[in-house]
Amino acid sequence: MLQNEQEFVRILQNRLEGTLSPEELNDIISDYTEHFRIGKTEGRSEEDLFRSLGSPEDIAREIRATHLVKKAEDVRSCRNILHAVLATLGLGLFNLVFVLIPFILLVLLLFVIFVVGIAFMVCGPVAGIFALLQLAGIPVFAIWLSPAAGIFFSTGITTFGLLLVIGNYFLARFFYHIGIRYLKWNIGVITGTERLA
Amino acid sequence: MNIQFKKGVLEICVLSVLARKDCYGYELVNEISKRIDISEGTIYPLLHRLKDEGHVTTYLQESAGGAPRKYYRLTESGRKEEHEQKEEWMRFCASVNALLEGKNNAAE
Repeated sequence: MLQNEQEFVRILQNRLEGTLSPEELNDIISDYTEHFRIGKTEGRSEEDLFRSLGSPEDIAREIRATHLVKKAEDVRSCRNILHAVLATLGLGLFNLVFVLIPFILLVLLLFVIFVVGIAFMVCGPVAGIFALLQLAGIPVFAIWLSPAAGIFFSTGITTFGLLLVIGNYFLARFFYHIGIRYLKWNIGVITGTERLA
Repeated sequence: MNIQFKKGVLEICVLSVLARKDCYGYELVNEISKRIDISEGTIYPLLHRLKDEGHVTTYLQESAGGAPRKYYRLTESGRKEEHEQKEEWMRFCASVNALLEGKNNAAE
């Protein structure tokens, strides 16, 4: 592989186009072209400068992850957090264990609470209808003793389901916030250290 | 220097160099890489992050021999950050050194 300025810039461009805006990309590229320009006036070869900069692929990966985490912080959405997590995974094997697994577990937990909440919210009104039918003298399957108990049971179940879903929303927001902070810390401190050697 | 330490302290190093004087990228990279063995390219993403967080700003300045250079300067919040991180680092180092040297005065 060629180890010159053109190749370095080409790799950064290839990997960051589409993620960064053209202005942001130019801003980053200009830093590296200036680095090469000044280095060359000090008598260093492009190859030498290329080598001491380190792998442009790794640099692009880190810039991409930082950018996507920032984006997920600014605009909260499932899509953005998923992109941020995936970009951070690319930073090192370490993150398969310390990012991917916690992420999957949290998503599962939130999903299960949501499904249980929705199930209660559906069963509640159904039980209510049964209780009303029972009150009207139509025989139905009922696990409660009287129509009044049935109405009480139905209201309770519905409210509980509603609370679960609402609580789940706030839990998701809390995890989102903590997750962003963790990813930032992860990019800043933990990952990519192996390439600093 | 052990590799695990490096990335975490890179930020305080960059802030600290910039606290003494404004630098263009190449100059800053040199200041740091002559003391710490790192991939020089990682300094630039760090500078961009610090800029996003409002700790540094940039300006262009003509150089003696040619094209203008992009200088990085600490903002007020950057100075505060540098000060805090430095204090924290110093305290941490003092504690670790005391432990390594086997002094037993932490409880006193």
